Amino acid sequence: MSNPLAEGLPVRRRPDPCAIVIFGASGDLTRRKLFPALYALAYRRLLPEQFAIVGVARTERTTKEFLADMRAGVREHGRDPLKSEVWNWLADGVRYVATEFDSDPGEDALARTLLELDEERGTQGNRLYYLAIPPQAFETVVGELGERRTGSGWTRVIVEKPFGTDLASATELNTLLHRWFDEHEVFRIDHYLGKETVQNMLALRFANGIFEPIWNRQFIDHVQITVAESMGIEGRAGFYERSGAIRDIFQNHLLQLLALTAMEPPIDFTADSVRNEKVKVLRALHTPGPKSVVRGQYGPGWVEGEEAPGYREEPGVASSSETETYFAAKLFVDNWRWADTPFYVRAGKRLARRETSIAIQFQRAPHPPFADVAGDGLRPNVLLIHVQPDEGVSLAVGAKVPGAGMTIRTVHMDFLYGGAFRTGLPEAYERLILDSMLGDATLFTREDEVEEQWKLVDAIIGAWQRDRPSFPNYQAGGWGPAAADELVHRDGRSWRRH
Amino acid sequence: MGVIAEIERQLGALRRRETAERDGHADLRMSTATHVVWAPPRWLPQAQATFARLEERHPARTIFLIPEPGRRARIEAEAALKDVTLEGAEREIYSEVVEIRLFGAAARHPASIVLPLLIPDLPAFCRWRGRPPWGASELDEVVGVVDRLVVDSGEWAGLPGQYGRLEALFDRVAVSDIAFRRLLPWRVRLAEAWPAVGKARRVRVTGPRADALLLAGWLRARLRRRIALTRRAADTVEAVAVDGRELEPPFGDPPGPGDLLSAELDVLGRDRVYEAAVQSVR
Repeated sequence: MSNPLAEGLPVRRRPDPCAIVIFGASGDLTRRKLFPALYALAYRRLLPEQFAIVGVARTERTTKEFLADMRAGVREHGRDPLKSEVWNWLADGVRYVATEFDSDPGEDALARTLLELDEERGTQGNRLYYLAIPPQAFETVVGELGERRTGSGWTRVIVEKPFGTDLASATELNTLLHRWFDEHEVFRIDHYLGKETVQNMLALRFANGIFEPIWNRQFIDHVQITVAESMGIEGRAGFYERSGAIRDIFQNHLLQLLALTAMEPPIDFTADSVRNEKVKVLRALHTPGPKSVVRGQYGPGWVEGEEAPGYREEPGVASSSETETYFAAKLFVDNWRWADTPFYVRAGKRLARRETSIAIQFQRAPHPPFADVAGDGLRPNVLLIHVQPDEGVSLAVGAKVPGAGMTIRTVHMDFLYGGAFRTGLPEAYERLILDSMLGDATLFTREDEVEEQWKLVDAIIGAWQRDRPSFPNYQAGGWGPAAADELVHRDGRSWRRH
Repeated sequence: MGVIAEIERQLGALRRRETAERDGHADLRMSTATHVVWAPPRWLPQAQATFARLEERHPARTIFLIPEPGRRARIEAEAALKDVTLEGAEREIYSEVVEIRLFGAAARHPASIVLPLLIPDLPAFCRWRGRPPWGASELDEVVGVVDRLVVDSGEWAGLPGQYGRLEALFDRVAVSDIAFRRLLPWRVRLAEAWPAVGKARRVRVTGPRADALLLAGWLRARLRRRIALTRRAADTVEAVAVDGRELEPPFGDPPGPGDLLSAELDVLGRDRVYEAAVQSVR
């Protein structure tokens, strides 16, 4: 018999009892993002009552020291006040295990700790492993986890980006993971997918009857997707020198935003239905030729009122580095809906401002009778989805300027996401950790998606081997290289004005 | 100039001033509903305090109706814009607040004032402060123009008899009760105790009268059983015991008045669970 008292109560997604094991727990991600997210979930009582956290890292320290650091992280980066009753509940289930990833005694200590927690906290053998570790440690840790996997409870693995550095390494990682885990047990994080505004893109498209009929090549002139950062590499030269903008942003965040923009309506909102549609878009992406791709690297300049060094002057970066800090491309989705509709995408560091947005530019009105009296050229309608900051949606429409005559100006109708639903937007990691505990992979990247993304990146990078870029080619604080402007000007278009 | 035209003139002037002050870039006007507050003068300070908290969560055109029937008939209205700064956002949003004092006979006919001020296509809520005057024209008219009536039966004397009068409105307008919303953490606790509480015969509540009555009514309706209620008075619900066994209190601080009202504004349809609880309070 179902619970009659539950009727009308808010449906609370409470996961099974479980322990989350964070590998790489001494890293910045754990302190800045993961613990604040876990605290926010505890604050809202969204964690299971039988719950535990095990931090695993090489750094020698005690559980008490680890907790003190995490508490400070929650205070500094959390979105909720630090309440002792919530923190104490969470902290009671926290353990720290210092170990080299490839040491048997360390793995034994972890296994013992987890068994103890099953007894003390009732976590029932359910394990969620969060791999916030460098790629070189990956094989060892995954192998150990697989070999020591017990028959009791479920096991899931969250894998942080970067997921490989090219198609070959990504395929290798997938093969390694699948040696021990089924695909439904693997959760590849792209934290952009956990953002409320990115999910709202699906709501906007598929919960409103007015957009879908015009969401195609007949009504849309082109799409622009921008992932702009004003900051530099923030001391991550080692990582960034190996990745560059194409691997850091384009391969994952940018292509995911493109897939969500271009995908067909899924039959439902289950993980496989949504991901099936996204992967179709990725497969349909036409590999751009060299003339449709621009790469750049910033030189010195001024960003937000402060002088910024050029990329090659950043600590840890080679003075002759050819790593791109900017990437732009004109892409085509070769399918019935989007044939011949360009998707202009760009991502870069040290640009004029931080902004992630998707701009859908519609075709011009076919016969505007007031073309001669338009105040600013009677621009086409643009539906602008602001992913960050100022999350929301704007629609640019032409309106008559009050007074005699017929002068038309473009005005914006704005919907500010946080303004309409001021409940405090959850951080992406809150949603993603909770979903992985619930076994819901809708907002995670599937094996075939990752491989399609790398196929495209490899094809673009392959063409780069044949020529040497002339870097730096844009000034910090601007909007990227002149060649990026030419990329769109050639088609009689321009990047959105900011 | 009529009162509605005067309100619209004031709002228009305020919007133009905001835009001019910000160099042509107006803040965003944001509305998710029209929020009508019926607040007799003695309830007004509390209503305004709740609104101050609420506005951040549910930007709405808010219309305070302040009835003063014992005075010479006239209407006074004042409009204002309220700015809210959003954390992390570069722009502020604003929403509109209209305070209307209804003197004399006007206090008995508020619909003609409210109706033209409702924002089209968005839900309209009325938070009725104090006990509604059952059968009076002002209640009848407001119920006729809003989608949801939000009351707090904890503000009423004469319980449980008043619930019978409230019940008569259920087929005319969706009704919410802040007292029932306050009980949500305890209702969740009881739901978590299922099926152990499935054969409950007695419930003991340490808390306000309205809360205790509604909790017992809810249990009776959901479990379809006769359940005896005993109550020990307290300002908030401090303890609940079923058949002598105390429940573990809910986690965290109880929500404040703004949060409680805000949660009600998220509910759009009829709350059949609440209606059944009210029908079973006696």
